[in-house]
Amino acid sequence: MANIGNPKDYLILTNNPLIVECLQGKGAWTIDFRPELKFRDVLVTARDLVYAGHLLYTHPLSGSVKPNETPYKSVILSVEPHGMDNDHAIMIANAIEVTDKFQILDWSHSEQAMKDFRLIDYTLICGAIGFDALSGLSNKQSL
Amino acid sequence: MKLELGYIQIKDIQFSKECKVENGTLFIDPEVVKAFMYQDDDVKAWVKDFSFDIAKPGESVRITPVKDVIEPRVKVEGQGGQFPGVIAKVDTVGSGKTHVLRGMAVVTAGKIVGFQEGIIDMTGPGADYTYFSKLNNFVVVAEPVEGYQDHKHEYEHAVRIAGLRAAVCIGELGRNVTPDETQEFETFGIIEGAKKFPELPRVAYVHMLQSQGLLHDTYVYGVDAKRSLTTIINPTETMDGAILSGNCVSACDKNTTYHHQNNPVVAELFAQHGKKLNYVCNIITNENVYLADKQRSSDWTAKLCRLLDLDGAIVSQEGFGNPDTDLIMNTKKIELQGVKTTIITDEYAGQDGKSQSLADADPLADAVVTGGNANQNIILPPMDKVIGTLDYVDVIAGGHNGSLRPDGSIEAEIQVITGATNEMGFGLLSAR
Amino acid sequence: MAFKVVHYINQFFAQVGGEEMAHIAPELREGKVGPGVALEAAWKGEAAIAKTIVCGDSYFAEHEKEAKATILDWVKAEAPDLFIAGPAFNAGRYGYACATIAKAVKEELGIKVLTGMYEENPGADLKKDILIVATANNAAGMRQAAPKMAALALKLMKGEEIGASVVEGYMNQGIRVNFFEKERGAKRAVDMMIKKLNDEPFVTEYPMPTFDRVAPNPAIKDLSKATIALCTSGGIVPKGNPDHIESSSASHYGEYCIEGVLDLTPETYETAHGGYDPVYANADADRVLPVDIMREFEAKGIIGKLHNKYYATVGNGTAVANAKAFAAEYAQKLKADGVDAVIMTST
Repeated sequence: MANIGNPKDYLILTNNPLIVECLQGKGAWTIDFRPELKFRDVLVTARDLVYAGHLLYTHPLSGSVKPNETPYKSVILSVEPHGMDNDHAIMIANAIEVTDKFQILDWSHSEQAMKDFRLIDYTLICGAIGFDALSGLSNKQSL
Repeated sequence: MKLELGYIQIKDIQFSKECKVENGTLFIDPEVVKAFMYQDDDVKAWVKDFSFDIAKPGESVRITPVKDVIEPRVKVEGQGGQFPGVIAKVDTVGSGKTHVLRGMAVVTAGKIVGFQEGIIDMTGPGADYTYFSKLNNFVVVAEPVEGYQDHKHEYEHAVRIAGLRAAVCIGELGRNVTPDETQEFETFGIIEGAKKFPELPRVAYVHMLQSQGLLHDTYVYGVDAKRSLTTIINPTETMDGAILSGNCVSACDKNTTYHHQNNPVVAELFAQHGKKLNYVCNIITNENVYLADKQRSSDWTAKLCRLLDLDGAIVSQEGFGNPDTDLIMNTKKIELQGVKTTIITDEYAGQDGKSQSLADADPLADAVVTGGNANQNIILPPMDKVIGTLDYVDVIAGGHNGSLRPDGSIEAEIQVITGATNEMGFGLLSAR
Repeated sequence: MAFKVVHYINQFFAQVGGEEMAHIAPELREGKVGPGVALEAAWKGEAAIAKTIVCGDSYFAEHEKEAKATILDWVKAEAPDLFIAGPAFNAGRYGYACATIAKAVKEELGIKVLTGMYEENPGADLKKDILIVATANNAAGMRQAAPKMAALALKLMKGEEIGASVVEGYMNQGIRVNFFEKERGAKRAVDMMIKKLNDEPFVTEYPMPTFDRVAPNPAIKDLSKATIALCTSGGIVPKGNPDHIESSSASHYGEYCIEGVLDLTPETYETAHGGYDPVYANADADRVLPVDIMREFEAKGIIGKLHNKYYATVGNGTAVANAKAFAAEYAQKLKADGVDAVIMTST
């Protein structure tokens, strides 16, 4: 069993391609890239993993960008099911509830805005795992 | 530690070839400010040009997207200079004398990311929701160099530095002006304070700093707050710019540098210091994304509260969602140490006000002050003049396609307005 | 033109008499009576009371259906801009009548309503459904109550925006409403802190939601010997809903025998729940109450046995207090029957 807090135990669940481009192969973590998932679906998938015993390593509502604003979401969970944590189950359930109270808005974001949403989500994850976001960007791999 | 603030009331700002403060009017040559900003290499590298404008209370002016708001100050006596570790060299500030150009602010605006929010209306219904509508604002609009899109970190940094430099440049003009009013602020050593006010309850301010990542950062003496453990700072240090904002997201509840310089909790605690309570110090703690960090930081906050033998702690937060968890963790753990808390937050209760307001809750948080429901809808009428650009109004939090209506009015949630639901308790807005 | 108002009061405030006259049936009077005088005075000609309905408190309590029907007819015929009831202060039956009839007028006639009473009056239970102005606990509070009610009434009639509860004086409806305070937030926080430190009463601006958390019982050591029961708030009932469990705000639960039932079929079971799309539950009620799987587990010896009775109610809008009372009752039955564990399903 991998140790808690060990990058080997990081499962980065994400619908953000920039995470893959910048973090794939740059550490011991595993990236579960699910481009088909919407913001809420990422949280629901994370919730199911929490129920199955995976720990949350990052707060599901990372970032002040509102859930009805950005389409991108990344959550780090444990690779290993260490056992269900009640607090984590409540936290992820609350996050879904918070997401649902924001009205779904009709937005046509510019490609630049989308790019920036990806960047913000990526840097939040970098901050969490102590990875140098800038160096990741400069060594970006194309998908 | 004792600091004297000398307030120089600024009633008007005028562009002029000569730079000076005279009879409450700031005369300023934008070229001088520009040259001072460009002395920084990063500003030189990333900002193609600056344009300048003045927005006064009551004018039909809309400033957007706002990045930061900063009050010009200058250190006239004592150690250190403004914004230590960033503009001035690292040196402990918070004692001696500082002059404040009160009644005005430097507002930085301009695009950084493609969804940027932050509106200051100088008149109309939106003006009621932002304190900055009451100030004479010297607005600096930054224009990035080509290709900045792939260098948002660097560009954000450059604009942040530029704003601070503009404030320092203007603040310097107050150095030799006699203040209209002065005020002293003093806190004491732990034992000294306890001896001085043996009968008074010991109260500290737990100041939570946004620290999640790019556009969500706060700096303390130049240190990125997410890399710091919870620690102690003198309240007067914040008045000299020890804490500054690198936060551009969630306009309504982000703490601008102006909020840090004029922290209302600090001011209100000082107002009761030596009367109804003994204001011991500020405890600064972060709001990281990594859950183990939250655990550690909130443990540390509670530990410090106990170590300082506090009777009470006022906790303020910054931002949306994730920080609610830090707020509740801090509050719960502090209460469990036997230290009483009151907390300041804002709410996202949905447009109809019927949803759960916070992302986290605990019955120990039984004394809450709220800055209001950020989801409340508002219609901001068109203004005669826009400083910055309306390009982003359709894509900001609380806005939507069609938010920007053909006549230039905006229909959105109050979360688009800078400082509307401030979680330091800066404003009058509340909710029940 | 002045707004038209119909006012509801009890026998006492109509000066018919006290408890000895509480039996009187509703009567319709012209113009203002009793507390209506103070309301009209506060409206300064902008609104007038066209009719006053007087009803005995006992009569309303004992003949609620008839009283309601009569009053609704009268109000409908009058078609007022506002129906106002009370204030009832701490009079329990009067408060109940004011709130109940105001709610009926609002919901059945679509007319704006307002009432007033003391916060602990049982009628205040309806504060989320209708606007109730908070008053003192006795009629000496009329002087404060009347202008407060009159001002809010006028706002309602004019269609003006209603501000936050603390500003307008009505009881909080659990809906967050913004308003501007007189002091900034930081000052309010420091003032609240000082009160808290001195053990003086203070009022939080945001009461934290409370969750009733139940500590789990110790795990079952050997499932293969355990008797497991199924219970649900998903409304699964025998076809035809023999106990008439309501589709929302259920007032009772049902006990049903599943001795020998291996599978819930569309012919035998259905849902009574009105809060979700019933198509899938009606097609196969095992989706909500998994009898089929439990029988399978029973056959395989994974569990000892499936209890031969299940308990069901509808969770849709059902008061938490009711739900608690249901469970407290049937939990005793389950215990008496030697059930080791319960699987509670929701929807």
